[in-house]
Amino acid sequence: MNQKTWPKTNADVCIRCANCMAVCPVSRVTPLFPGPKHAGPGAERFRKPGDPSVDKWIDLCIGCHLCDLACSSGVPISELNLMAKAKYLDEKGRPLRDWLLTHTYLFSRMASFLSIITNFLLKNRMVKWLADHLLDIDKRRELPAYQSPTFRQWFREHPPKGERKVAYFYGCYINTNEVEVGKAMVQVLEANGFEVFLPPQECCGLPMLGNGDFKGAREMGLKNVPSLLETIRSGTEMIYSSTSCGHMIRHEYNRLLNIPGSEEVAEHLFDLFEFLKNLNEKGDLKVQFIELPIKVAYFAPCHLRSLGIGLPALEILRLIPRLEIENIEADCCGLGGTFGFKREKYEISQEIGKDLKEAIDKLKPDVVLTDCEGCRMQIRHLTGLNVLHPIQILRKALKEPAG
Amino acid sequence: MHYDLIVIGMGLSGLMAAKTAAEMGKKVLIIGKGLGTLSIFSNTIDLLGTIPPTMKMKDGLSQWVHDHPEHPYGKVGLEKIEEALSSFNSFFPPPYTFQSKNDANSLVPTGAGTFRLTYLIPSTMMKGINLKEKKTLIIGFEGYKDFYARRLADLLNCRGITLSLSENPQTEMTAAALARRMEKPSLRDFIGAEVKKEIRDEELIGFPAVLGVNDPMGVRKDIEKKIGASIFEIPGLPPSIPGMRIFNRFKAKLIQKGGNFLSGYSVSKAIPRKNHFEKIEVFHPPVTNSYSADHFILATGRFIGGGLLADRERIVEPLFNLPVSYIGSQEEWFGKSFFAQHSIHGYGILTDASLRPIDENGKPIFENVWVAGTILSGHHCVNEKSREGIEITTGYWAARNAMKL
Amino acid sequence: MNLKTEVLIIGGGATGVGIARDLSLRGIPSLLIEKGDFLSGASGRNHGLFHSGARYVVSDPEAARECITENRILRKIVPHCIEETDGLFVSLPEDDLDFRDRFIQACQEITIPAHLLSRDETLSLEPELHPDLLSSVKVPDGAIDPFELVLGNAKDAEDHGAKFLLHTEITSLLLEGNRIKSVLAKDLVGGDEYSIETSYLINATGAWADHFLKRIGLRIGVALSKGSMLITNQRFTQRVINRCRPPSDGDIIVPNHTVSILGTTSVRSEEVEQFEITPEEITLLIKETSRMIPAIEGCRFIRAYAGIRPLFQSGEKGDDRAISRGFALIDHGKRDGIKNLITITGGKLVTYRLMAEKTSDLLCQKMGVDVSCTTHIKPLPGAEKSSGLKNRLAAIGQEETLCDCELVQKAEVEAVLKEGKLKNLQDILHRTRLAKGTCQGAFCVYRLLGVLHDLGMVKVDSNKVLKGFLEERWKGIRPVLWGSALKEEELIEGIYKGIFNL
Repeated sequence: MNQKTWPKTNADVCIRCANCMAVCPVSRVTPLFPGPKHAGPGAERFRKPGDPSVDKWIDLCIGCHLCDLACSSGVPISELNLMAKAKYLDEKGRPLRDWLLTHTYLFSRMASFLSIITNFLLKNRMVKWLADHLLDIDKRRELPAYQSPTFRQWFREHPPKGERKVAYFYGCYINTNEVEVGKAMVQVLEANGFEVFLPPQECCGLPMLGNGDFKGAREMGLKNVPSLLETIRSGTEMIYSSTSCGHMIRHEYNRLLNIPGSEEVAEHLFDLFEFLKNLNEKGDLKVQFIELPIKVAYFAPCHLRSLGIGLPALEILRLIPRLEIENIEADCCGLGGTFGFKREKYEISQEIGKDLKEAIDKLKPDVVLTDCEGCRMQIRHLTGLNVLHPIQILRKALKEPAG
Repeated sequence: MHYDLIVIGMGLSGLMAAKTAAEMGKKVLIIGKGLGTLSIFSNTIDLLGTIPPTMKMKDGLSQWVHDHPEHPYGKVGLEKIEEALSSFNSFFPPPYTFQSKNDANSLVPTGAGTFRLTYLIPSTMMKGINLKEKKTLIIGFEGYKDFYARRLADLLNCRGITLSLSENPQTEMTAAALARRMEKPSLRDFIGAEVKKEIRDEELIGFPAVLGVNDPMGVRKDIEKKIGASIFEIPGLPPSIPGMRIFNRFKAKLIQKGGNFLSGYSVSKAIPRKNHFEKIEVFHPPVTNSYSADHFILATGRFIGGGLLADRERIVEPLFNLPVSYIGSQEEWFGKSFFAQHSIHGYGILTDASLRPIDENGKPIFENVWVAGTILSGHHCVNEKSREGIEITTGYWAARNAMKL
Repeated sequence: MNLKTEVLIIGGGATGVGIARDLSLRGIPSLLIEKGDFLSGASGRNHGLFHSGARYVVSDPEAARECITENRILRKIVPHCIEETDGLFVSLPEDDLDFRDRFIQACQEITIPAHLLSRDETLSLEPELHPDLLSSVKVPDGAIDPFELVLGNAKDAEDHGAKFLLHTEITSLLLEGNRIKSVLAKDLVGGDEYSIETSYLINATGAWADHFLKRIGLRIGVALSKGSMLITNQRFTQRVINRCRPPSDGDIIVPNHTVSILGTTSVRSEEVEQFEITPEEITLLIKETSRMIPAIEGCRFIRAYAGIRPLFQSGEKGDDRAISRGFALIDHGKRDGIKNLITITGGKLVTYRLMAEKTSDLLCQKMGVDVSCTTHIKPLPGAEKSSGLKNRLAAIGQEETLCDCELVQKAEVEAVLKEGKLKNLQDILHRTRLAKGTCQGAFCVYRLLGVLHDLGMVKVDSNKVLKGFLEERWKGIRPVLWGSALKEEELIEGIYKGIFNL
């Protein structure tokens, strides 16, 4: 815990105004979760050091951070919840399922290499039934398909070009499950004269952190930060395309996990569209866009909101001529990373997502765009629509498509 | 990132300022921690609750402006109040509108079984002003612990019943959960059927103010059809669902107009250069982002959001270090009785007529800083019932004045 | 209404109720009259400190011995009212370590367990303590809930034949020769008037002792000492924290459920009823206690209150029967010729049972009855059940809660309401943990009134009750209204004066 950024005044500043209760997506759909006012600062007054944890509802907190943003006193409610969750699970023990869901990075490269078999198994009804009954991974949830070659493998064959360098933290999912997002990113950056560099990287560790595994998350951070630091110190700025990885590395590595060097990394780490927006403001966004007369609906992921950088993707997308863009007025998609895969939480996840689905249905878009892979999975699952990362639309709109 | 205007504060005054500037085609950033106090206090638009319903608001307000030159209304003047209100009103086209009855205050029933004089009333609450004249039935919900139909009925001299919505009567339901369920037809069918069974000769049915966040008029219409009587909402303890409706509308429209909406982060520093402010910094551990603008509007409210801070000796405005007009110390700031008018509430930032903060000689302290909302000095918005009126008027005019330059 | 009783006890504090119970267990029924609710005096306005006696071990070893003896007894008979937290007597750099050594020795001499802990050991137990501390001494202090204690005693007394008339004030005392014959009393809520004939009268009015005796022209010389306390929003330590120095102001911090209680001061008062904490006392308390816990300096307080201690000045004529300088048991037969009057006053909450025992012994002697006390061995009913912060926390999400700050369930409150006999709102609040948390009742009292209407239990304008409550609440909040507390008040005023226009 980084004492500098973690004042011990949380219990004192909560004034019980219930703003947080107005925005919590979980307590809105189920009475099983008492809501952020009680789960966070409320319960904190009752947690005595040395007492065993009794917070059996605490892992219903989806970690969306919306309560933090709504709090007029600045109580870091979701962090209080996370620490309580960690303690509860440390005492109760973590099921194998949670370990599997948070350590997919260990098998993802193999899964990609054997993608035909992997994908067959992940879609197979028998396998899904077994996973449901033995591991409590809900069989109604579509499991993401693996691709081969991986993004990194594709990139290795890709001839580098560009004058200035920029580093890319792609994240596990892009690497093995959505390679086209990575490709689109590289192409857009190259069109702007940047050579993309991939520093050595591992899973950022957010799934572990979200499941209260501080130890595991810290290990991932300690693995990642040295190589990221080296990249930064060589004068290269770094970008991420997954808002979840971004939130983890930019804030949680420092604030919750106290990883040395993380502060410096954070200062040179940007969201992809934040980066493009900065270029645009300096007049450095080189590309011209073609007309793209389609209707897109943009969804701001929870982690983007908690990054506190606004909605840079909307700003850049608005540069594309004839593109009709609507910002979807809904908050959390309901997946919550590993949350919505768990059998006991699937229905809550879907109930939360219903509100988002209704908002999308009203807009009737051709495509839905969102920066978070979790949200993309969930929106596909909820609506069956085509869901892309905004960079993919930007790539489509490039006047001179890069190689 | 450079903006024409940066508005600091997520309350109604900040939102109004940002909307006004965005409508003028300006590049706006609105930044604030939390949701302001819309989701806590606001349900109707209080303009000036001291004017009796028998008097036209315009006349009452005109007298007030004349008698209270130091009040925010006194500073801006009557026409300006009307223009700002009109701008707010046009932001809420039918079916969910804010109206007054005969351009005067009306008495609306509250969740404490009292009445409050208020000016602009949203459509879902309007029929409640007839509570005293018509036979009324009030509906509460088991598990929704912030509203008690029986107590309201005892105090308002009408009838009250409590509906049970779940198999487990001990289950709690938050206002947000209830409002969400109201937007599903199944709950409305249930309510319609149950109330129809219970209703005797009542013409008006009162509900807690939870008739949905997104489509309250749709919810109302459907329930009215199912029951066969008029219904209205009664405001209660926070969170305020009607306040959330207002907040959501401002947010959606601002984003649509290209405004940058940064909710949840507090400004940690404002960087001055002589009598001019350049930029603000936002510390979001461990990074600090900075934003610069031509003009800044301080709409950070009073103590709830940290717009003002006080210890036992002093009251300060922590961001721009603007002088706060207070006298005495903690011992004097509060009356002996809870219901007294505490002098502390009248303290705040002194401004000129254009809403620029001034020094003891009456001269503007900064070229490009403006102040809006309840942080201003010279009002007792809680006792006077003038909160939303002050927020709307000064938010609108701070933006207009700043952007004219 | 005409009533007759053998024993009339005046005063519903710990002592009076303790006497009622002691007598009832000896088969002697009594009637207790109290003009407010139970615990209207010092019993309801103290620190909640369950003394080990260590605090007096150097200055008054006899009083200390009494305390540790009672401490041991109470742990057995009322364990559910006590949180066995232990206490630490902390030595700061400016404190005299010779005193500390004498302190440890004196504890050992009267068998109060006392262990010396190093700085590091102390800080690992209580990380909120000042990092400059030198050492601490661990003793068996604890935290006691006076309300649970007295209400529990009252219930057991009632089950054994005692009767109570609360909210009933004595209007006059009637003498016949050298005995008190009867009293006249009035129910302050209902208006009923009583004429009560009694054979014996026990004046257990604590600080009101002389006030009461004045009616028949007597006086024993009770000095009134105001002690003030502050309540913090959070519980800073798990143990009681004392300053290891000769007893002075601001050197005790007692954990109590979810908060810490800082105290206390000692200011001579002329008034037994109109008193309040002063800004100077607040400044002193913050200054002194923050020497032990630095975080107190900027922390949020949720309430400030004061209580009046009765101090008996021995040396006045005929102060026999004083068992120690701690409390005073006065036989008015010997002293003033009124044969059937006894006064008991002074003392500490932790010695209430002993005071009750001695008083009951004296009464039995006067009555010619030879029955011994059993309160030192008979536990209170309910002694088996344990509440505790984590149990209340575990119930979140299971049941509807009325008080979100203190996690008080609706079912719990309804059970208290159904017991009946509650005359006003404060009676309800005394018997639950409603309104004792962060917002001091701002939300839960509103809900409570709704529940009362649902149960059909309200016969008055409940908004008048609500406003009365808000005024009463204000008295405790106004003195500490700065910093974050201001945010809370802005919320509360905006709701009750604004939205609700009360």
